[in-house]
Amino acid sequence: MTIAAVPPADAGGVDLATVDLSDRDWWTTPPEYRHAAFDRLRSERPFAFFAEPDIPGFPPGPGYHAVTRYADLEAISCRPAVFCSGKGAVSMQDVPADLNEFYGSLISMDDPRHAKIRRIVSKTFTPRMLERTLDSVRAVVDDVLARARAKAEAGDGSIDVVADIAAPIPLRVICDMMGVPEADRASVLANSNVILSGGDPELIENDDPLTAFLTAGMEMAALMERLAAERLAEPRDDLTTALVSTEVDGERLSHQEIASFFILLLVAGNETTRNAISQGLLALSQHPDQWARWAADPALDRTGVEEVVRWVSPVTWMRRTATQDGEINGHAFTAGEKFLLFYAAANRDPEVFADPQRFDVGRDPNPHVGFGSKGPHFCLGAHLARRELQVTFRAVFDQLPDLEVTGPPHRLASSFVNGLKRLPARLGGDR
Amino acid sequence: MRVVADREVCVGAGSCELLAPDAFKVDDDGAVRVLQEQPDDAAAVRDAVSQCPTGAITLLERD
Ligand code: HEM
Repeated sequence: MTIAAVPPADAGGVDLATVDLSDRDWWTTPPEYRHAAFDRLRSERPFAFFAEPDIPGFPPGPGYHAVTRYADLEAISCRPAVFCSGKGAVSMQDVPADLNEFYGSLISMDDPRHAKIRRIVSKTFTPRMLERTLDSVRAVVDDVLARARAKAEAGDGSIDVVADIAAPIPLRVICDMMGVPEADRASVLANSNVILSGGDPELIENDDPLTAFLTAGMEMAALMERLAAERLAEPRDDLTTALVSTEVDGERLSHQEIASFFILLLVAGNETTRNAISQGLLALSQHPDQWARWAADPALDRTGVEEVVRWVSPVTWMRRTATQDGEINGHAFTAGEKFLLFYAAANRDPEVFADPQRFDVGRDPNPHVGFGSKGPHFCLGAHLARRELQVTFRAVFDQLPDLEVTGPPHRLASSFVNGLKRLPARLGGDR
Repeated sequence: MRVVADREVCVGAGSCELLAPDAFKVDDDGAVRVLQEQPDDAAAVRDAVSQCPTGAITLLERD
């Protein structure tokens, strides 16, 4: 292996005074360093307070508490009436209500409306229903891996794990489920990259972040308008038809509600699973013993995937806002205070996980919160993502056993999504 | 022993269906349906109850 496993950084060596979770560049530091910082925060300042980043066009907000202990995160997540999502779940800043709903949809709503809207699609994502899509997921994965192989053979053997393996799989699966035509998929990928870019300058070259973000949202909404009109005229057996035809409280969803739900499903379904695949493969290449062990034993597919999601924590945090004064595990808070639930930190809490800095594809039990903790917002796509990941890793072991990571990962400068932009690799060497 | 569900609180996350498929199903309206009020596999149902993200299902031990 060309990339050696980096030993866990010594938490004692982290200077907490230099740690600013609001600084986009801090998030491109190596994960070992970030986890060492989380270790210090978790044990010394479990509700550490940070100022919000400056975003041009938005008034500076009051700041937030970074929740890093598993027990605190769970206590907040399972009390949605006290810690709501409706003030914004995916941004540190309070954003205007219309933008919040447009880009957040479900994820930035509270019950009872949240539950009613979520139930329109929940059926499609259950284990029983997904059993039927297993064959099509397999077909997508086999095709993507065959193309990666063909690309390597046509050139010098080099591929990009992100562009050639990790990105196309979830994109094709979710677009199939939504009924997005082939011709529109490249723009769906580009726009969902911008929406979750966290303002990373490489992804939004030509514009200021806010303009790029709004343009991407408008293009997605325009696509939805077109598909919605088509499905109303001619219903099909896809999610888009369910969105346009189901009634909630005796009314159909508004155009804007449909568009934002559509965007959420595409964006949430793409970026997360992609980063679990790319960084799962990175972790496996850094831990060749775990690669060999998992590859040899399909019985590890279940625990292996859970460990990848724990290890990578593709969604770093979600936000909640206190609706009242109170106290949580001894910490007093007042109405309006913001809490960022750092899943990435809770997933390495030594109170819950034995030897948390060890990547162990057989870890069991593994009660990670990579898909969210207890509460009504628990990931809608968890069963789908698990399935995609199980099929993908097994297929890589069988079809690309010669995959070799050759270069350093290019990290997305985002606190919210733990993402890779590129991961150089090679096929056909003698691994 | 009896299984009860609160269909208003349920968001159809489907954990129960995964852990105790004989006892639960996410129905066409997106909320849980109890298939066995007196479950065959009480251990699986207890597991499902403890994993439910919204606390929508309960196992009444004496009923
Ligand atoms: C490895 C892949 C994935 C990870 C790590 C992940 C993670 C998460 C997390 C952390 C949340 C928030 C939970 C909370 O606030 O309590 C969430 C919510 C959500 N996820 Fe995923 N997700 C993944 C894949 C997917 C897929 C494939 C879809 C497909 C559509 C999806 C759709 C959603 C939606 C719609 C929500 C909002 C649910 C709500 O607010 O009720 N996710 N996900």
